[in-house]
Amino acid sequence: MKGVIFFSALLVAVFSQKIFVGDQVLRIATKDVEQITLLKDLEELEHLELDFWKGPTHPDFPTDVHVPFASLQAVKVFLESNNIQYSIMIEDLQSMVEEEKIQISRSRSTEQMRNTNSFDYASYHTLDEIYSWMDMLVSEQSNLVSKIHIGSTFENRPIYVLKFSTGGTKRPAIWIDTGIHSCEWVTQASGIWMAKKLATDYGKDAIITSILNEMDIFIEIVTNPDGFYFTHTQNRMWRKTRSINSGSSCVGVDPNRNWDVGFGGAGASSNPCSETYHGSRANSESEVKSIVDFVKSHGNFKAFISIHSYSQMLLYPYGYTKTPAPDQQELHNLAKKATDALSTLYGTSYRYGNIINTIYQASGCTIDWTYNQGIKYSYTFELRDTGRYGFILPANQIIPTAQETWLAVKTIMEHTYNNPY
Amino acid sequence: MRWTLWIVLGLFPLVDGHPTLKTDQNSLETADAALNHQNGSLNSVLHLDDMEKAALETTRDDPAFPMKELNTSHYPATRAAKVAQHYLNYHHGSPSKWFMVHAIKKASSEDIPEVGKKYHIQFSVQEQATKEIVGNCTAEILFRQTEVQSAPEVNCTCDDLLKIKTSDADHALYHHIKHQPEPMAGMDIPDSQGNIPKEMEPLWYLGGIGASFIMWQQSNESTLYNMAHVHSVKQLNSENDLLAFEYVVLLHDMVSQEIIHWHMQVAWNPTQGVKVTQCHLLPKGTMKQPSAEKHKI
Repeated sequence: MKGVIFFSALLVAVFSQKIFVGDQVLRIATKDVEQITLLKDLEELEHLELDFWKGPTHPDFPTDVHVPFASLQAVKVFLESNNIQYSIMIEDLQSMVEEEKIQISRSRSTEQMRNTNSFDYASYHTLDEIYSWMDMLVSEQSNLVSKIHIGSTFENRPIYVLKFSTGGTKRPAIWIDTGIHSCEWVTQASGIWMAKKLATDYGKDAIITSILNEMDIFIEIVTNPDGFYFTHTQNRMWRKTRSINSGSSCVGVDPNRNWDVGFGGAGASSNPCSETYHGSRANSESEVKSIVDFVKSHGNFKAFISIHSYSQMLLYPYGYTKTPAPDQQELHNLAKKATDALSTLYGTSYRYGNIINTIYQASGCTIDWTYNQGIKYSYTFELRDTGRYGFILPANQIIPTAQETWLAVKTIMEHTYNNPY
Repeated sequence: MRWTLWIVLGLFPLVDGHPTLKTDQNSLETADAALNHQNGSLNSVLHLDDMEKAALETTRDDPAFPMKELNTSHYPATRAAKVAQHYLNYHHGSPSKWFMVHAIKKASSEDIPEVGKKYHIQFSVQEQATKEIVGNCTAEILFRQTEVQSAPEVNCTCDDLLKIKTSDADHALYHHIKHQPEPMAGMDIPDSQGNIPKEMEPLWYLGGIGASFIMWQQSNESTLYNMAHVHSVKQLNSENDLLAFEYVVLLHDMVSQEIIHWHMQVAWNPTQGVKVTQCHLLPKGTMKQPSAEKHKI
């Protein structure tokens, strides 16, 4: 969509010889319907030559308008005197168009790459791009990889899981999910990398080959598609689902507080406006229910790894209670082994321990539920970094993060394989 | 030398959590007043966890053995060390110098009846620009038991802090900014992809140092703050030899997972260091959150 907008701007520039020096694009945040009406009035003033990229429709959605240099002062005075908040999205459209010309020609060349070997793993991708990539991987390696539709999101997007299997029926299985909190972009990006790594290493890496000869591996890369789409279009920091909460103007439920274990207890919020809102009831979120149904009907998962960022930690149950998990000793030792392996690559150091002592009390968490279902090797990762960049980790750290995390994940998978139960 | 003064000052508990290091008391009091005014609204954002308080109660020690050894991997030590990091950054940071906790070596805490809880942390920090590690830092952090948010009182000293030499970089930057024809400004640092234009990096650091003041002031045992994003930065006119900037920054609290917006004015020069001259919390929904696909490469 962005490409279309800029390409259109470019076309206009080329064919009408129009230049945009000093023009700005303003993002206007309206707070009520009255302000929308004012903007619509502004739209009517033809002499201003305003070009609305996103027209004024609803107070909840921003209005984007390209303002020619000559009209800038008038428009800003109008907005400010009417107390309408705005920010300058593009300071100088001309320089943006120049940059975009370069980017379009660059992306045109990347569009030619229609296979998973030429996919750019070192940058962040959109939901559409990831879903296309998944189809590419399946078609390239259909003997090993298949795609399963496990449910739909609140906004009706499909939820997909990649299955890596060399055959058998309901073999003991390992689960990996990334992106349950949508703003944790390094996790989805790592999920893509790890899926590709898994597909590549079967037949080459001894451990992966042994595991896949007897076990299945499931990877859900975009566990919260609605939230993920929202982080690309509206709010990079969005964490929760995008479900509507009745009786509240606040949207979304924390999917990592929505599981049916200690649900609603301390360590989750009952306020829909909170980032840790647990939802109206356990499994209220289709994103969570889809996994619950899938895991229960499969019935043979042996390890469950849920990946988050940031903080650099490897966590095991419980989050909802201080009572130690019965297998705490084994889980603790394995966590040490896994984080030691992780640090061998780039020296990245991780803390490890149970959720409630290491990070905070949290109820209704994923791995508390999976552990109580009998999936002993239940772990949560918190990937890089420790707060310098936080959620907005530079793309050049995607591959190093994925590589080191893979070493830890492999350690857990290998242990699971060697210790059947 | 400025740093000697801070180390000396650092040996005394700060009274009421007010920073005592800067020359312009009026503007600080403005900052403090603004912070105090915001305390009410901020407490509704932070979840002071009753279960957590109860947990602390049950582990209160026999007064005969006041100090309790803490697990350095667990959150009480981590949160206290993070406060020390914020304190260290505000007092020693600059647009060329920004510290992050590297490793916690030892930690203990003691309950001080009627007062609060005092943590003793031994830790190392890593300076982000030079990647140098300063190995021996010790800090005492006192979290007072108060009804409203009050800044933790911190003493923090690091051996070898001097070895991080950024004075040349700071002076060069100062002169570079002073001689720019246009005031500097930026938005969305980093962008969605984590990119930061080279010329914006010092302003990102400066924002981080200024934000450290706010994060230090707003911390308690139930918070863990990091600066998530610089929404905007704009250079202001300054009458004196201080450079001045207006920021809107996003802070992330790991415990509540809330993202909060703060507006702040920051003054800096290489000899006087960083000073937050004004700050206030922006109500949720005022600013649009970091926009998604930034139209940048």
